[in-house]
Amino acid sequence: MNYPFWQVPVIGSGWVIGIIAIYHVMISHFAVGGGFWLPLAERRILREQNPELRNQWRDHLVRHSKFFLILTGVFGAVSGVGIWFAIGLTQPEATSTLIHNFVFGWAMEWVFFIVELTTAAVYYYTWGRIGDKLHQTVGWVYAGASICTLVIINGILTFMLTPGETWLSVAGTGNEASKFWNAFFNPTYWPSLVLRILVCTSLAGIWAMVTASRIDGDKYPEMKTDAVKWSVRWLLPSFVLMPLTMIWYLLSVPESQRALLTLGMDTIGYGTFSQVTRMALVIIITSATIVGVAYFIAYRNPREFTFSHAVAVLLLGLIATGAGEYSREMLRKPYVIGRHMYSNGERVSEVKDNNLKGYLRNTLWLNQRTSLHFAQGEAMFRGECGSCHTLRGYRSLDRLLAGRDRQSVGNILQMLHENKPDSPYRRFMPPLTGTPAEIEALGDYLYYQSAGDVKANQLAKK
Amino acid sequence: MNDKNSSLYHWFDERLGLDEIIAFARHKTVPVHSQSFWYYWGGIALFLFLVQGFTGILLLVYYRPGAEAFESVRQITFNMHFGWLIRSAHAWAANLFIFAIMVHMFSVFFMKAYRKPREMGWISGLLLLFIATLFGFSGYLLPMDELSYFATKVGLALPNSVPVVGPFFASLLRGGVEVNDFTVQRFFALHVVILPAIFLPLLGFHLWLVQKHGNATLPSEESKPAAERKSIPFFPNFLVKDLAMWLISLNILALLASIFPWELGKQYDALAPAPAGIHPEWYFMSPFHMLKILGNWMPGATGEVVGMLLFSIALVLWLLIPFYDRDSSTARQGRIAHYFGIFAVAALLVTTALGYWGLR
Repeated sequence: MNYPFWQVPVIGSGWVIGIIAIYHVMISHFAVGGGFWLPLAERRILREQNPELRNQWRDHLVRHSKFFLILTGVFGAVSGVGIWFAIGLTQPEATSTLIHNFVFGWAMEWVFFIVELTTAAVYYYTWGRIGDKLHQTVGWVYAGASICTLVIINGILTFMLTPGETWLSVAGTGNEASKFWNAFFNPTYWPSLVLRILVCTSLAGIWAMVTASRIDGDKYPEMKTDAVKWSVRWLLPSFVLMPLTMIWYLLSVPESQRALLTLGMDTIGYGTFSQVTRMALVIIITSATIVGVAYFIAYRNPREFTFSHAVAVLLLGLIATGAGEYSREMLRKPYVIGRHMYSNGERVSEVKDNNLKGYLRNTLWLNQRTSLHFAQGEAMFRGECGSCHTLRGYRSLDRLLAGRDRQSVGNILQMLHENKPDSPYRRFMPPLTGTPAEIEALGDYLYYQSAGDVKANQLAKK
Repeated sequence: MNDKNSSLYHWFDERLGLDEIIAFARHKTVPVHSQSFWYYWGGIALFLFLVQGFTGILLLVYYRPGAEAFESVRQITFNMHFGWLIRSAHAWAANLFIFAIMVHMFSVFFMKAYRKPREMGWISGLLLLFIATLFGFSGYLLPMDELSYFATKVGLALPNSVPVVGPFFASLLRGGVEVNDFTVQRFFALHVVILPAIFLPLLGFHLWLVQKHGNATLPSEESKPAAERKSIPFFPNFLVKDLAMWLISLNILALLASIFPWELGKQYDALAPAPAGIHPEWYFMSPFHMLKILGNWMPGATGEVVGMLLFSIALVLWLLIPFYDRDSSTARQGRIAHYFGIFAVAALLVTTALGYWGLR
């Protein structure tokens, strides 16, 4: 409660991060995988015996590296900064924890970003201006820097799911940064790194298929066949290793957080499976489709592989990536930092105090233009519910509470407040904290909001 | 199957003439141009129809028409293992099927693929679309939940407003004056026996015409010298791409069916008031809303009668377009037909959007 709330109507603040993140992942992972694709392709053409094909490949690589530079250097970099901007607004407490814990990690990350952006530009602008060997070396420096950015950010991202017992034992003591490496190399670090590297190689292949689709198959049949087939082969490691790596990853997630997934699997036959299971299904179905489509459309018919075909594969990739990121977020529920901070930014250690002394005791952000009771309810909603719910939009409380009377709304809040081990909400929702008066204010606020604007206005004026 | 040395292949070839089929398929070509993407939609519609046939047969195992209709659908959805998925896939495939046929129809229209000698293909295709909407309409009632019951009541108002014969057909479909258990029996018979019995031979005829005349190319491509026109063999090149499109369609269907399972509402209560915002399926929204607009403009039943007449005239004109815009030599007719098509698309989209807007 030390920060103002950032409330986004209809889609909710979480989706602001989600939209930027999914878009960013498509580009940032290409920045890493494509970083290896470029020097390897260059090595290939340097070994090519047919001079005509070598020249055609070279022209194609110049075009591809320009596309690569613009996409990763402009859109990738801007969306990357956009994520940090958005999480700072949406999850200020969690962002603060990350900064305090990983400030040197970030410093290293930014150094590698600078090397990455510089070498990508140098690589493109020095085609034909420096020796082949040196040019290829620039490409390898880029690849090295880009994989380092992944190595670092992966530690921070996986920390949020599984901070590990060692870090948790010092959490809240002020000595968190002393366990930097334990937090960094946390239980899901390695499977996640392998998983992300596989995604990087796939996206390198998919984006390369996009540029290869622009080659005129009638004019350059051999070149187009070669470029398309070689790009499709980059999907192969994912196809073989992804299922195994996903199992490894899931086994590294603590049992308590895997519960939503296993619960969903157990009940899939009856169709009552959880959202994270649905998303896992999306990943599996769509990944298999990508491989099938890439084989049928691109590998079997490389000369007739068009831009619209490539976009179809890219969109499927976007669905799979989006579902992957969504599932990762859902696995973290009810936390934003596993077993340390709930998804509404409240620390696990603060629950008792908030119940005794009040959730709003330190808040500076109560609405001054309405009655205190309404303002308290509104602040409770924004602070405790607003991270995941909207009033009238995504996961809207308006819809979830529709048809309930005041008593029924109160019963649900009471269940969330007690957070008993057998509560159906416990697996994915944080406990509702606060004094009875604060919870009463929240109940009134929610009830009158769902009962319509007129009643809500009446409450506001009380 | 390409290994012609295999004895198994020979065994089948001797009996079925596989070599001839493959030679025929290799001989057939598909034009390649900037609008080739639209060629896939007929195949996508066919695939979705096959999915419906498969899932429909599975649903048939447990569905019980009549008084137990709702209870049997409830059991399929909540008690049978993966029953929810089969039902959901069936319902989503039905909607995607009609959507795919519509895209196919408009792409055929704007590519002028109805012109000589493909008039019969156009007419049979429109009849298939008409039957597909009847499949949708008859299938929608089968769960007999609140929404399907009242939506069917609203939907039957459309044929009812057709002058002279309308009330008779509406009554025939209902099996009485009101929608009830008899209606479900009739709709069930229509859905699983009568409509498939008409649809399947018509589909075979439509596919045979496609084989006979091949894919029409764009008028702009036709004017090019033969040497400049590009094409690919149907087998294996186009077929392999078609299969990829089927795979994407299956992916989209699987995602929709598993992420947004088709809901089952409360059991219908004929005495209860209709829930707010009741409306027919999206593909009937346009005529439904047009009738509503005309009903507001004109007194009594006049609006509905005029609306149905206008709609019938538009449909007849749409059906007869190949006899107006016959070939590429009649540029003026071609242009007018093109504007008519744009008007039809715009009218459909606008009235559908207005219909949903009015429900808010």
